[in-house]
Amino acid sequence: MEAGPIAATQVQRTRVLADWARATVRAARFVLHDPALLTATVVLGLLLFLAIVGNVLWHEDPNAVDLNQTLQPPSAEHPMGTDSIGRDVFARFNEGAQISLTIGAIVVVLGALIGGAVGVIAGALGGWADNAFMRTMDSLLAFPPLILAMAVTVGFGVGLKTATIGVILTTIPYYARLCRSDVLRVRSLSFVEAATALGARRGWIMLRHIVPHLTSTLLIQSAAVFGYAVLAIAALGFVGLGAQIPTPEWGTMITEGLDNVLTGGWWIGVFPGIGLLLAVTATSIIADRARDIFDPRGAYLRF
Amino acid sequence: MTRVVLNRLVGAAVAVFGASLIAFLILRLGPGDPARLVVGPLATPAQLKAVREQMGVDEPLWTQYWKYISGFFTGDWGYSFGSGQDVTTLMQDRIPASLELGLYAFLGAFVFAVVFALVATYRRRPVVDGSVRTLTFLGLGTPPFWLGLLLLLVFSVELGWLPGPEGRLSPDLEPPPHHTGLYTVDALVAGQWATFWDAGKHLILPVFALGFAAFAYFVRLLRANLLDISREPFLVVVRSKGLSRWASFQRHALPNAFLPTLTAAGLIFAQLIAGSVLVEKVFNWPGVGQLVVDSILRKDFAVVETFILLSAFAYVIVNTVVDVLYGVVDPRVRAWSPPV
Repeated sequence: MEAGPIAATQVQRTRVLADWARATVRAARFVLHDPALLTATVVLGLLLFLAIVGNVLWHEDPNAVDLNQTLQPPSAEHPMGTDSIGRDVFARFNEGAQISLTIGAIVVVLGALIGGAVGVIAGALGGWADNAFMRTMDSLLAFPPLILAMAVTVGFGVGLKTATIGVILTTIPYYARLCRSDVLRVRSLSFVEAATALGARRGWIMLRHIVPHLTSTLLIQSAAVFGYAVLAIAALGFVGLGAQIPTPEWGTMITEGLDNVLTGGWWIGVFPGIGLLLAVTATSIIADRARDIFDPRGAYLRF
Repeated sequence: MTRVVLNRLVGAAVAVFGASLIAFLILRLGPGDPARLVVGPLATPAQLKAVREQMGVDEPLWTQYWKYISGFFTGDWGYSFGSGQDVTTLMQDRIPASLELGLYAFLGAFVFAVVFALVATYRRRPVVDGSVRTLTFLGLGTPPFWLGLLLLLVFSVELGWLPGPEGRLSPDLEPPPHHTGLYTVDALVAGQWATFWDAGKHLILPVFALGFAAFAYFVRLLRANLLDISREPFLVVVRSKGLSRWASFQRHALPNAFLPTLTAAGLIFAQLIAGSVLVEKVFNWPGVGQLVVDSILRKDFAVVETFILLSAFAYVIVNTVVDVLYGVVDPRVRAWSPPV
């Protein structure tokens, strides 16, 4: 009696694995045939490499002050120069990549989880609960995104953690709206009716039959949100609401660069900005292509 | 149609109410006592209590919220303890500077976007189209504050063509007599050519830094729309009637391509507000954004609260007006409202 279902799940599992393998091969072929997508992937991979192993290979402490080596232009010894108190900009750049990419990932994961949950629950319950949830989301959408994130840092104290919470809060309504409309769309399809006819309970239908359909929407939205999050965190850091000054975050590094504009230390602010530009542009190209492939409808969060 | 508009207006009102509630809760429930920030760490408990009473932070939350929201709508925006002025006067002083920046950024972005979108789609040269598309991707990925820094480095520090981060005018010039608060307009009205020229030169870099992202967004939208429309049968008909390529483009394709850009107005507006906060810091522009950043760092809550609510309010208004307008301009929207 037990053998049947177990065998069935095993078959299912191998099939899922085979599907995944096939999808991966297809994705790889797709990337290789699209120069822009290939470049974007390579650039993002490079930034990821610098973020993870950059400072393991490059033996400079991003916060080590060396007053004999202040404001050095880029050279072999300091590929991105040194700042006004002699810290190595390249080491700080790598550290900044780590911070930006990590926080981008955190924002995407938490935003998708919370926003997705709100959307699914609202779409599943309907009625007044749906109304209450979506009116709350509309209220969050009433703020220009960056301003809402600023408000959170003002209310709960300036810092990288509160800035991240603020940025997550701004992404939630976008996820919720997209997921809700997807839930409503899928819910009216005939296979859901079939599951209901077979006697499946509502919660089960939601989890087993409807939520998996949100994957492509969530993935595409996440690619767009990632770039937005990186940019927003840097913007908050730049105005002094996010990461605080000694932290080698790209936004605060640009603030330090601004302080050195008139002394001619261009490399301090320019390199972290290039990092931001590359990270955001690469993800937006990937998001754009992903949208072309899966083509969902909906509004996308922009800075 | 009236019902659609009414629905939209009620929705907007609910959103503004919710937004004010959220802003209030975020700003008031967070840790930190605004009265303590005003009196400083050395104040006696009695002084603290007096300021708390004066600021009303010891009253129940509902009373506080009511004061906050009714004050906002009656134009009483509180008192800025950081600068010793009413927030209303502070804002009135600062808004024209931001407005001038935003207005030129918006106009510039739009005009250049039309030109670039036309160039990209008119002759269908892949190289031209490709470079315009690359430009838009760069525009959307460039942090406006970093672009400002870059522009300063190149055009002010290296080349010395344009002034550095010194605000709206050179320090030795008097602002023109106040009519609109926009220095370029006021200087023109007063006939002060030197001031006009100077104000214009100070505007170029910040306007570029602020408008670039909006420009990229417009180009993307317009280009996609133009490509879509140029495949429509009615354009083939127009050409076969004997209209030249250009005539059919500017008379029949362009107006239709503008239509969907209307929906982007809200997004652009949000971008300009957020962007102004960032860009004004770079150029020491004495606008609202700069005021807000300073106020946040000085913990001057009244200014920040006002700005946050004001921007949410303006944002909702822009979005609502655009929605309603879109229904007026495009009859299809009226006939068919999307499900969900």
